Amino acid sequence: MIRRGLTGCIILTLFLLVPSRAAAQDKLRIVTTLPDLAYLADEIGGDLVETFSIATGYQNPHFVDPKPSYILKLTRADMFITIGLDLELGWVPALLNSARNSRIQPGGEGYVDASIDVPLLEVPTRVSREEGDIHIFGNPHYWLDPDRVQIVARNITKALNRLLPANKSQFDENLEHFSTRLDSLYVEWKERMEPYRGAHIVAYHNQWPYFEEAFGLDIADFLEPKPGIPPTPSQLALIIRHMQQDNLKVLIIAPYYKQDAANLVVSRVNGVVVPLASSVGAYDGIDTVFDLFDYNVELMVNAFESATE
Amino acid sequence: MPDLFALEFVRSALLVTIIMGLLLAYLGTHVVGRGIVFVDLALGQISMLGVAVAAYLALEPTTVSMVFTLVGALLMSFIKVTDKRLKQEAIIGILYAVSSALTVLLISKAAHGDSDIQEVLFGSLFTVTDSEITSMAIVFGILGVVHFIFRRQFFELTEKFGNREIDDLGSFNLWNFLFYISIGLAIVLAVNVGGVIPVFSFLVVPPVSAILITRSKIALIPLTLSLSALGGFLGIYFSVQFDFPAGSSVVAMLGVVFVLASIVRLVRGKAEPTGSS
Repeated sequence: MIRRGLTGCIILTLFLLVPSRAAAQDKLRIVTTLPDLAYLADEIGGDLVETFSIATGYQNPHFVDPKPSYILKLTRADMFITIGLDLELGWVPALLNSARNSRIQPGGEGYVDASIDVPLLEVPTRVSREEGDIHIFGNPHYWLDPDRVQIVARNITKALNRLLPANKSQFDENLEHFSTRLDSLYVEWKERMEPYRGAHIVAYHNQWPYFEEAFGLDIADFLEPKPGIPPTPSQLALIIRHMQQDNLKVLIIAPYYKQDAANLVVSRVNGVVVPLASSVGAYDGIDTVFDLFDYNVELMVNAFESATE
Repeated sequence: MPDLFALEFVRSALLVTIIMGLLLAYLGTHVVGRGIVFVDLALGQISMLGVAVAAYLALEPTTVSMVFTLVGALLMSFIKVTDKRLKQEAIIGILYAVSSALTVLLISKAAHGDSDIQEVLFGSLFTVTDSEITSMAIVFGILGVVHFIFRRQFFELTEKFGNREIDDLGSFNLWNFLFYISIGLAIVLAVNVGGVIPVFSFLVVPPVSAILITRSKIALIPLTLSLSALGGFLGIYFSVQFDFPAGSSVVAMLGVVFVLASIVRLVRGKAEPTGSS
């Protein structure tokens, strides 16, 4: 009797498992750290994937407070895409550990480090903690350069091809489509920014070197005295003097930093604070990588125009 | 949502919350009895100061904060206020304020210090590792056994402090010293996982709520422990069910436990008026 009951239980369990398993096969479940990666995975994966980004676009990607749903999503994920380097070091390893999903652990078939093959800037020659929040592998904010986004898109395509080889042609086609569009728009963006090539600006946090390189800007100074350390009064005084001497008018800042210090500084030099979008989803209406660059180019052009008036 | 409790990380968070909550609530009866509820915030803050010093000097944070907390606990065990105009709480309050300020000073020179502070305040119960649970279970188990075996000595001392009959205690009292060491050890380990505010809530809310509900000395401890477990369970449940960070959910649910206990007291108070206010 007992044995029959047990067998019945097992069969019942199998029946319960089978449909959920089949449903799971419908779409590849992808969890990403940033919305930019989720957008790319959606763009290339199309109908075959279902994406979820842990961080929002208006959040500082260095810090994310773990919520149960994040771990839940990771537990059930088929693929996990991370910006990598040490951007999410403060929260990704702990979340992955709690999720106990071997597919998406580093080295697992579903683990995708988007930074593979991305040429990095600011790779330190020596590491000292006294320099503040130093990125030992190089600056990790590489998704703010269209050319590097192309590499990320290729990395994601490779991973999708690996997990769903039957749909390779579809993914390759989506990549091709995305890539062509990004290339042609990048040309337009560069044309719009051309009059301001080499312009000196100031940034709050050192997170724009790739944007700077991509659009020919020159970031002359940072409000943070060391990366991650909020501006001190003496640093603000130094910045104001620097901006006055070199006639710097434009200060760029990510949405998740307090703007008090930046406002104070620009009020002294008659400049403008430019709250650039640091990620897809940083502001309402920035839903795609194209929106992101459109928005930022528009803001920069307006800022330079108002500064020269 | 019972299937959520089948997930390993939820079970781990629940387990560590209950282990932490039970011992802290038990120690909390002493803390509340002595009238030194600030001791936890002060020791927690001193442990944070240790983390900040370690970050500043590039040392290993766990060891440094452990040393800071134990030295702080040792110093507190020497505080004996015999001046009737003063309360021990005042001195502990000063320690709290000054160590908070020193932490902020050091953190302002360290990268992303403000969010580190946020993490130390509320911990991260959902990302607790198995080894953290094991070490906490072992240390808390030992502390619990020691406190159970010598409960007479510990409670006599707490009554003396509660009634301010401490003039006859020498400058060094072994049990007082052991009490502060156990509080220090419990806090430094619990703060590491649970964060300062949840740890404070576990120390204070269950014993206070139990005192509100019952007058019986025998029922007080079991009731305290049950309320702690209840608050911890509700906190994790609430967090998982509605997707909130764990530490603040636990504190909010302990708040609910306290409100319910106050209602019980109010209803009873009307039925049988008492002399105490």
